[in-house]
This record gives sequence, structure tokens and C-alpha cells, in this order.
Amino acid sequence: MATIVNIKEEKALVVKDFEFTYASADTPSIKKLDMPVAKNSITALIGPSGCGKTTLLRSFNRMHDLYPGNRYDGKILFKEKNILGPKIDLINLRIQIGMIFQKPTAFPMSIFDNVAYGMKLQGIKNKTELYDRVEKALRDAAIWKEVKDRLKHDANGLSGGQQQRLCIARAIAVEPEVLLFDEPTSALDPISTAGIEELIIELRERVSIVIVTHNMQQAARVSDYTGFMYLGELIELGRTEELFVTPKEKLTEEYITGKFG
Amino acid sequence: MTHTQKRVLLNNIIMTLSTISAIIGIGFLFWILGILVINGVDALSWNIFTQEGAPPGYEDGGLKHALIGQLMIVGVATFFGVPFGILAGTYLSEYGQKSKLAETIRDVSDIMMSAPSIVIGAFVYAIVVVPMGHFSGWAGSIALTIIMLPIILRTTDDMLQLVPSTLREAAFALGAPKYKVITQVVYRGAKAGIFTGILLGIARVAGETAPLLFTSFNDNFLNTDMMEPMASLTVTMYNYATSPYEDWQRLGWAAAFILSMFILTLNILGRIFIMKKREK
Amino acid sequence: MNAILDKLFLNTTKFIAIAVLLIVAWIFSTLIEHSMVSLEAFGFSFVTESKWAPNLEKFGALPAIYGSVVSTFLAMLLAIPIAIGIAIFLSELAPPKLKSLVGVSIELLAAIPSVIYGMWGLFYFVPIIRDIFGGIGISMLTAGIVLSIMILPFMAAVTRDAMNTTPDILKESAYALGGTRWDIIKDIVIPYAKAGIIGSFILALGRAIGETMAVTFVMGNVHKISLDLTAPATSIPVTLANEFTEADTDLYYSSLFELSLILLIISFTIISVAKFYFLRRKRSF
Repeated sequence: MATIVNIKEEKALVVKDFEFTYASADTPSIKKLDMPVAKNSITALIGPSGCGKTTLLRSFNRMHDLYPGNRYDGKILFKEKNILGPKIDLINLRIQIGMIFQKPTAFPMSIFDNVAYGMKLQGIKNKTELYDRVEKALRDAAIWKEVKDRLKHDANGLSGGQQQRLCIARAIAVEPEVLLFDEPTSALDPISTAGIEELIIELRERVSIVIVTHNMQQAARVSDYTGFMYLGELIELGRTEELFVTPKEKLTEEYITGKFG
Repeated sequence: MTHTQKRVLLNNIIMTLSTISAIIGIGFLFWILGILVINGVDALSWNIFTQEGAPPGYEDGGLKHALIGQLMIVGVATFFGVPFGILAGTYLSEYGQKSKLAETIRDVSDIMMSAPSIVIGAFVYAIVVVPMGHFSGWAGSIALTIIMLPIILRTTDDMLQLVPSTLREAAFALGAPKYKVITQVVYRGAKAGIFTGILLGIARVAGETAPLLFTSFNDNFLNTDMMEPMASLTVTMYNYATSPYEDWQRLGWAAAFILSMFILTLNILGRIFIMKKREK
Repeated sequence: MNAILDKLFLNTTKFIAIAVLLIVAWIFSTLIEHSMVSLEAFGFSFVTESKWAPNLEKFGALPAIYGSVVSTFLAMLLAIPIAIGIAIFLSELAPPKLKSLVGVSIELLAAIPSVIYGMWGLFYFVPIIRDIFGGIGISMLTAGIVLSIMILPFMAAVTRDAMNTTPDILKESAYALGGTRWDIIKDIVIPYAKAGIIGSFILALGRAIGETMAVTFVMGNVHKISLDLTAPATSIPVTLANEFTEADTDLYYSSLFELSLILLIISFTIISVAKFYFLRRKRSF
């Protein structure tokens, strides 16, 4: 059984008895997993590659539904509703639970249109409202100063770090309640990485964050809670400062001291 | 209706439309394939392979003359087109590389690949048929060689470029001269790809009709003299299908079926070779 | 010894590679040379004159050019939406098994010789057109439809390939913002693959305009410009296929060569536009 620390905050997500099986696999990639995600805090998921951390993350916004044949079992509760249920409106779910990917994913359109995209999908057409919200999102993502004079330029002209901030601006522009980060700095240089990390910490006040990272230092730097996963199971979830200093599980200790992985 | 509901509705409408158009398009294509198979199989018989053309009304007409003519015309075109294409492709990949000359040759042969084949027929008519004074198997083969050349050239070029440069360097490091590196090492590394290119090149020219209409022309009887007009499956198909005689039309379908099976087999074989290569 | 063989090998391959350029130059110069009689007799009026009467030694290419343009336009008009539909179906909708099954069949159908599409058109499609529109069924419309079906597999396959170049992660990002499939196709896939898709359409256009066998059965070779699409018509390749072996005078013969030359120039231009303008280098991701 996993060691799970008691969480004082309200819970943004509650994972119960969750299993996930890929279409091409016979056995589940995630097995009987229970895990709470605290509201307005940052939860990091660490573990060796193939442990299921990204698979779990992509279950929170049902990204796996894009590819046929994948199967979910158990429950993931979001605002007291099971998001794995059949009646869930995926579009609505994804508006409320945003995602940032391993690589910057600037759309083939202008900087402005990139940030406005999610709002336009929701039917917001009013020019001033759009402009105000785009500006706010870009300010919140700490990229406004760099792009304010070239909002109409193709977003692919930005550097990697700038593009990733743009993607964050795009995600927060629709005011989600949860943001999922899937190794957001794996394609970036150290300076851009530091900037993104700072940004993630600032965002904590407005959204609940789950971040998957292959970098233990990053988890230690940014997160409030850290979950260690191994072979499709959650081994330990603890307050970050405790988990890295006094891990309760032997496997966790071996992993963070670099004995495997 | 909320904006999101509208979007979902629009999405469903367009996805349905695209599925319907896919069904229509694919339906038409399978209709053609079905007709080809039904009419072709129905018209097949031993006579087709053993008998030459016969006047309409005679029961025992066959396609022997067209089959042999087709094999000769395409065979000769392959005999010239393949080695020339491979050598030219070798120059592009191994010597010319990114030079202006090499890039120009690449661009021009890409354009040639999509040029109207009937124009090639007109060209060969002017340079071969007119001086000779009559149509001939040779003229047909020359037209097909010109069509085949850019195809073989470009696949050879592409396939040789896929051979890792470390392989070449390793051979050079052993003191091999460049022509030996190319013929003994690089060719071997690109064997499967080049072979697939050859199969697809043959498949492509085997289905050509337009450039043969006024080069090899036609002959309703067996002729194996390349200096004389020669029958081919494609031109025979054209002539028989546009004739008013039902037994000739049946032979036309048989020719269409045999030719399509030949071309599909080459295409499938080519795919299998490339896939085998990738698995390794 | 090795040095000599090395040089020999280099020069042989180089000579043959250059020969490809020479052949193309030779094709152009031969066509021009054989067009001279007609060029001198008619000048520019060759392409503006609509009377084609071999018995009167009058040759105007306008009906053939008109027929080529209209039949190709019809074919593109019909084939483009269906090709996009098939491509969307294959790249975004179909379950994986169907995807590869239908995908491979389409690619194989693209390899079927065009003369077979022509035969099918003559025996099975002409009667349908005749029943619906009356007349003889051999017409501009029939040619346009048969041509569209002939280029469909090629177009669908390359459009699908172009769409498939869109990185999954880019599509996922748009889904993660709450987009529907259609939102993703229209806002992400099509803008991303635009150059490739348009380039393939133009390449298909280049093929269609030079296509002979799919249309020669069903067009009728009638040198008359008619706004009625159900009337028989002709195109440059159809005229060549039907009349080349019948040309009995120098002027007739030369006029056919000038038609070939015009066709070659049109198709070279179209294919060059596709290749140099749209299909140059793909953006890397």
C-alpha cells in the first residue's frame, strides 16, 4: 500500500482505485491507484520513465480518448463528479483542466490568435474583451513586454522559451481550475527553464497544478507535494520537503538517492 | 444553443459529410475495381494466352501477340532505363550532391516525371518514327525509357542518400577507391530501396498507353521484330474497347485485368521489400 | 589503374545525368522545330482561332485548349472536396485498421493505369450520363467526372500524407483547450499542412491536364466550343491521341506538334509552380 500524506487543503482532484490500460496492451499501465491533488498548490509526479506518471497526467483531461481503444477503470473526481463517467462533456472538461506539453506547441497563427484561440472556441467575439484578456494572460505569463509590439507576427518566430510562455498564456487565458504540465521544460535551456519554473510557482495562487517531471531537483524546487510512481503504482505521496528528506518508503529513498532510474 | 453546442453540432455535421464523401469516393474506386475483376475473370481463358488476334466474330481470338509485344517493349525499356537511371542517380547522390548541376537535374527530372506522356510519344514519333518511315517496337521502347529514366534516377538518388555516410567512410578508411566504395558498399546498403524503385518504375511504364499510340502502334498478330510495329496490351485494350465488336471488347477487359494484376503485384512486391528493409 | 577507373566511373555517371537535361532540351527543341510550319502559318492566332478543319487546312487550337481547361477544372472541382473528405477520414476519423486498409487500397488504386478508368467510363459511366442528361453521353461532363475519379486516389493519398505531417502534440494542444475535431482540422491541421496540400492539388492538376487515356474514350473529339457541358468536346491530349496518325499534310502535322508544345509548356509551368512555390522545404518541428 502506498504511503499517502494527509492533505490539509481542499482537493482539486481525487483519484480512486484508478486503472488505465492502453489499447495495445494486455495489462494495465496504471494499477489500482489512489491519490489526492491539493487545491491551489503544486503537485509533482516523479519516477523512472515508463512508471506511468505521464499516463496518469493525461487521464486528468482525458487526452487518451483521442486514440481509440484505451480503457479507464475506477474514478477520478473533479468537483465531486467522476470525470471518467460516460456523461462527461470532454470539451467542457478540457476547458477547465488545461495542459502544457513537453515541447512548445505554438499554433500556426499569430501570437495574438494563439492566446485568443481558447476564448474564440468558447464563442467570445468581442474585440476589446478578447484584447484585454489576451494582454492579461500574456502579462501573467511574463511575456507581455517581449511580444506587445508584434502581436500580429507568426508565433513560430519566437524562441523556445518564449513559445512555452506563450503556451502557458494560452492555457491560462481561458481561466482553467487545474493546469497539467507534462515535463514543460524538457526542451528548454537552463535560463528559460528557470523562468518557466518561477512562472509555475506564481500561478499556484490561481490554479491547482500537477507537473510531471523527470528532474528531481525541479520537483524539489517548485512543488508543495511530490508523488513518486513506480511500475504503474503510486509508491508515496508526501509534502515535498519531507519526501525528499525523510522518505517513508524504501523504494522512494532508493530512487531519490539515485540507486536506480 | 450555447457556442460550444454549436461547435459540436458543426463538428458532427462536417465529420458526417467527410465520412460520406469518403464512402462515395471509395465506393467509386471499388466499383471500378469490381468491374475490372468481374469482366476480366469472365473473359479469361486459355485461348488468351495461346492465340493471336483474330478478326471479330471468330471465337478463338487471343492476346498472345499483345502479351509478348508488351513484355518486349517494356523489357527493352527496362533494360536501358534501369542502368541509365541508376548511374545518373549515383552521380547525383555520390558526386553531385548539393551542387547546382545536381539540384537542377533533380528538379528537371521531378518535372519530367509528371510531364504528359503523350507528348513524349509525339517527341519519339518525330525523332524515331519519321526518320524510319514507319512505327516500330523500338520507338515504343524508347518512349517508355524516357518516361522511366527520371523515376529510377530519383529513387536511386533518394535511396543512396539514405545510406549512412559512416559506411562510406569506413570503406574509404580501408583504402578503397571511390568507384569501389560505391559499387561494392553503397549499392549494397541501398539494394532493397533501389529494387523497389525499379519495380515501381516498371509498373508505371507498363500501364502507359498514350506514348505507344504513335510509336509502337499496334499489330493484330504476333510480331517479335522490334523494327516493325508491335502490339501492346494497352494499345490493344484501347483499340478493342473502342471497337463495336463484343468479343473484342471482352478481350479488352481480359487485357485490362491481366495488366492491372501485373501492375498491382509489382506495387505490392515493392511495398513488401521496403517493409522488410525497415524491419531490419 | 584505380585512378583511371575512378575517373571513368565518375564521368560515365555524370554524362548520363547530364543526358537527362539534354533529353528535356531535345524534347523542347524537337517540338518547336516541328511546330514551325504551323507557327509561321498561323502565328498567335493559332491559340485564339476556334475553327479546326483539317480538310480546309484551317487549324485553331482554342477548342482543344478550352476543353483541356474546362475538363480539368471540372475534375478538380469534383475531386478536391472528396479528396479532402477522404483525407480527413483517413487521418482523423477512421479506426487504425480501416485506416491502413483503406489507405493502402487508395494508394494501389493510384497505380491502376488510366486507360482502365477510360474503359470503365466508356462502358459504365457514359450510359448513366446518357440516361440522366440525354444526348449520346460522350461529353465534357463525362470527361470531367472520369478524370476526377482517376486523379482522386493520388490526390487523397497526398492530401492525407500532408495532413499527417501535423505533429500529434500540436493537435493535442488544441484538443486540450477544448477544441472539436473540426476545430483542430480547420485551425491547426489545414494551416499547418497548407503548403503541402495546395502543392499536391496543383500537382494533381498538372497530371489531369496532360491525361490522355482516361478522357479520350469519353470526350468525343469534337472541335467545338460549347457552353453545354453535356455536349461532346475535345482537349489537347484527346486531339493528339485521335488525330496524330491521321495527319496527312505538313500543316496538319505541324499543328499537332504545336498542340503538344502548348501542352508541355502548360504542364511544365503548373508542375514547376507546385514544386518550387509550395513543395519546397517543409517546416521542421
